[in-house]
Amino acid sequence: MEEAGLVSTGIALVEEHARKIKPPRILSVPFNFGNTLGEVNNPSFQHEILEATFDLLDRPEGPVLEIFETDEIERVVLSRSEVKTAAVSKKKEDTFVELANIKANYEKWLGMNKGRTAVGLSNIGIDQFPAVVEFLKEFIEGKTHDSEIRPEQFSIAHFIRYCVDDLKSYYLESRIAVDPKASMNELYRWLWSETALSDLLGELAEVMNDSEDKEIKAVAFGIAR
Amino acid sequence: MPKLEILSEPQREMLLNWPSPENEDSPWTPMIKPLSECKVALVTTAGLHVRGDKPFTTAKNGGDASFRVIPRVTDPADIVQSHTSIGFDRTSIYKDINITFPIDRLNELVALGKIGSLSDNYYSFMGALRNISGLIDEYGPEVAKSLLDEQVDVVLLTPT
Repeated sequence: MEEAGLVSTGIALVEEHARKIKPPRILSVPFNFGNTLGEVNNPSFQHEILEATFDLLDRPEGPVLEIFETDEIERVVLSRSEVKTAAVSKKKEDTFVELANIKANYEKWLGMNKGRTAVGLSNIGIDQFPAVVEFLKEFIEGKTHDSEIRPEQFSIAHFIRYCVDDLKSYYLESRIAVDPKASMNELYRWLWSETALSDLLGELAEVMNDSEDKEIKAVAFGIAR
Repeated sequence: MPKLEILSEPQREMLLNWPSPENEDSPWTPMIKPLSECKVALVTTAGLHVRGDKPFTTAKNGGDASFRVIPRVTDPADIVQSHTSIGFDRTSIYKDINITFPIDRLNELVALGKIGSLSDNYYSFMGALRNISGLIDEYGPEVAKSLLDEQVDVVLLTPT
């Protein structure tokens, strides 16, 4: 950007990497990944971060690395394996029952969030999610290696990944609708320790990781996280 | 990111061993006018794109270095995230897109007169690349050219 004649300023989440890369102007913030501007739905705090970032434009020379100091941040625990060792699993329903039961909560989420949803990467509508789960179960059992509902522009590995991302979003957005004040850790703890989807994705990740197909194996790592 | 010492051991090791480039210095373009007279563009590495656009992929050669154009007027309901990294919270951007892609905050700064104007197009890459050659040699310069064509002065970079 700067070599082309543009002035740049930005935010970094890993101070150690910023020190190596030496961007021209960078503000290092101590927030969890996925939380660059600090707090959701807090415009004044987000403006504070942006003001500190734009203030770097006034520096006469660089590279400039500024540290944004704030209170200690709680680490978010994202992965199924880490949550599972820390939480006691509760009795779960069948994934098909779960899908049906949380649909009303998901619709509530759409109403709360002006229709905005992270669901949609797979191009599969939520009414077809039971068919997706059926496919994933058969894939785990080795009964099938492909799905007739897969859009042809996606490889099977990426179709699975986008479906899994959509299922996770569907579950988590539904949960936020029920418990809007739940912390990040509470949301992931619920997903990984209290749902049947968690067990399905754990099994799916294991099967994909054992695959001889390099693309499926590469995608496997993110399935249960 | 919270301080390294409170991360789990695998996270800490992964970050410390990440193949980020090491530079001695950086190129520098000076500011020649106040921000209130500048056109600002938003460029993120959050792996965002317009709904229906091609999602980012798990590439075999160290990461998908391509980019997506997000017109500034895009309804937030039509912006989705297909970042392949496993290591970041998704729930915050479900609740508030501004947490990594501060489109509303930038509009507010223009209304307040602190920023002159905004570019018609924003751009999204996917971070956490293990191989940045495509970014350095092809896609980064392509985006820079588009920004210059749009007479952008200042680029705001946000990760996720």
